[in-house]
Amino acid sequence: MTTTQAATEAAAANTPGPGAEREFTVKARSQRQQIVRRFLRNKVGMTGLVVFVLLLVFGFGGPLVYTTDYGTLNSGAQSVPPGVDGYPLGSDAIGRDLLAGLMQGVQRSLFIVLLFIVIALPLGLLVGALAGYYGKWVDSLLMRFVDLILTVPLLVVLIVVATNFPGSRTPLGVGIILGLFGWLDLARIVRSQFLSLREKEYVEAAHAMGASDKRIIFKHLIPNALGSLIVWTTLAAATAIILEASLTYLGFGVNGANQTSLGRLVSDGVQATTTRPWLFYFPGITLLVIVLSINLIGDGIRDAFDPSNRRVRS
Amino acid sequence: MFFFTVRRIIASVLVLIASSFLVFALCAASFDPLAKFRQRQPPPTQEYLDGVREQLGLNEPFLVRYWHWLTGVLRGDFGETIGGTPVTDQLGGRLLVTGRMILLAIIIAVLLAVIVGVIGAVRQYKPSDYAFTFLAYVLIALPTFWFAAILKEFVAGGVNDLFGQQVLYTIGEETPGLSLYASGWELWSDRIGHLVLPTISLALLSFASWSRFQRSAMLDVLGSDYMRLARAKGLPYRRVVMKHGLRNALIPLTTVVALGIGTLFGGAVITEQVFVWHGMGEYLLQNGIGQNDINVVLGWLLVSAVFVVLFNLVADVLYAVLDPRIRLA
Repeated sequence: MTTTQAATEAAAANTPGPGAEREFTVKARSQRQQIVRRFLRNKVGMTGLVVFVLLLVFGFGGPLVYTTDYGTLNSGAQSVPPGVDGYPLGSDAIGRDLLAGLMQGVQRSLFIVLLFIVIALPLGLLVGALAGYYGKWVDSLLMRFVDLILTVPLLVVLIVVATNFPGSRTPLGVGIILGLFGWLDLARIVRSQFLSLREKEYVEAAHAMGASDKRIIFKHLIPNALGSLIVWTTLAAATAIILEASLTYLGFGVNGANQTSLGRLVSDGVQATTTRPWLFYFPGITLLVIVLSINLIGDGIRDAFDPSNRRVRS
Repeated sequence: MFFFTVRRIIASVLVLIASSFLVFALCAASFDPLAKFRQRQPPPTQEYLDGVREQLGLNEPFLVRYWHWLTGVLRGDFGETIGGTPVTDQLGGRLLVTGRMILLAIIIAVLLAVIVGVIGAVRQYKPSDYAFTFLAYVLIALPTFWFAAILKEFVAGGVNDLFGQQVLYTIGEETPGLSLYASGWELWSDRIGHLVLPTISLALLSFASWSRFQRSAMLDVLGSDYMRLARAKGLPYRRVVMKHGLRNALIPLTTVVALGIGTLFGGAVITEQVFVWHGMGEYLLQNGIGQNDINVVLGWLLVSAVFVVLFNLVADVLYAVLDPRIRLA
């Protein structure tokens, strides 16, 4: 009796004049704002982002401040340890400055990653979307093709292709090759997402209202699959950096006269573990930090898109 | 289950044929098996080169060459290398070397992944979870060859100094020539000394990402209703986690590990390169691609693809064992 009375009183108090209403309601946030907020509050993801931005500044802003050119050879300063003769991080066997090399390497590695994503993302998205949305023979055809290439390990496909194009030993070439064969798993992910999304009511509604296939795919399906797309992009970017380093180590990657990438520096440094440790540790640690930061960003984004993953257990 | 297996095997054979055709086309279009003869000084005569072409069967049409290779494989004959030695004999030895390296590594990696993953999930957000998570992230971000170089440097150097003699070896799968005169314990202790570092390297790098899978799968399971029900029935916590939780949480890991094993049998290419093992990966790189030898590349492809297919099948059967609700039909 008293409770109902209290409830009605509360209800009456809740609906006063039109002016006071705004003071107590929460401002509505769109889905996108919520995701951004969740990401900004994620410590791990933000750490990754900050580190990544610092690396960007190091790679692209650094050369403006530190103007030594990596290509300059100095026969008077071969294999100089860090801090000697004006080489902050030392020099390599033919007298090139390691700090300048690292800056260039970070630039080139990020360029390779960018190229990789620009090629692989649309390809994977297109193939996955077509297979998942249209189904039937389109699906079978495209997915069998993907399966076919996936029977051979990615590294081996890359090696065989890189052997066939000796001109591809530049950051540009390696980026293109990585991109052309890096979309296969994305196609699978997009397909599986589309398979479930296309059965949703809002797709049916859009269809009933006469929306074209193109409109449904681009306006309804892709935005809803955006989470896994972004997560894939970050994780694949990290993988691409390591793949580039591995390819280069095996002798099928970047190999130009004055073209260096992080992978090139790390592979060269492996030969100098004890004799010239600075050539081994600095590039290796830079690579580690880049990959680590990108992976952390990816994890942060995944948590932001899918908060249900973070289970609170008593 | 029997019909499921048979159907899968038939489908896999078709995939194998198609992918071997694809690789054959790629290699035939780009490889030049005569390159190493052309580079000789003084250059061989044109007649000689024509003779080699004829001998290797390069004059026949593309499809006929593929057909020869395919029928040969069905008879268990993978053809000959450019040097004239049969590929079939070499593949076996290579596979044993690679198998020795990855078998132990996989077992260690799976055990570690399950233990660390379960601990991480059960004690989520505790210091141990953070420590293992950090370790896993660092290991995932490391390039194999860099990590292996650190192992060679510190672990091998440290252990050998400790014992005052060479216990761990950093190069090769056995001391060269030892198998010619030694046998039994002497040979195998030498091989074990060579085995330790590659195994540690492979095991730690594979375990890192697998433990993340295991952790998230375990977290999913821990939050489910049947776990709460099992606790409510009064079962002890340890039993609930082990019997009800772990068994269900093993399914995602099975997929990932099965795929990983299949790929590893094709050669842990980089690990073999770093530790100079003469296994499948080196066979592909040096003898196959390095020599422009199409039969070697195809032989390698077929063996590694068979393992990929085989372990996918094993994974499917294991699903049914782990989760009786899954019916293979």
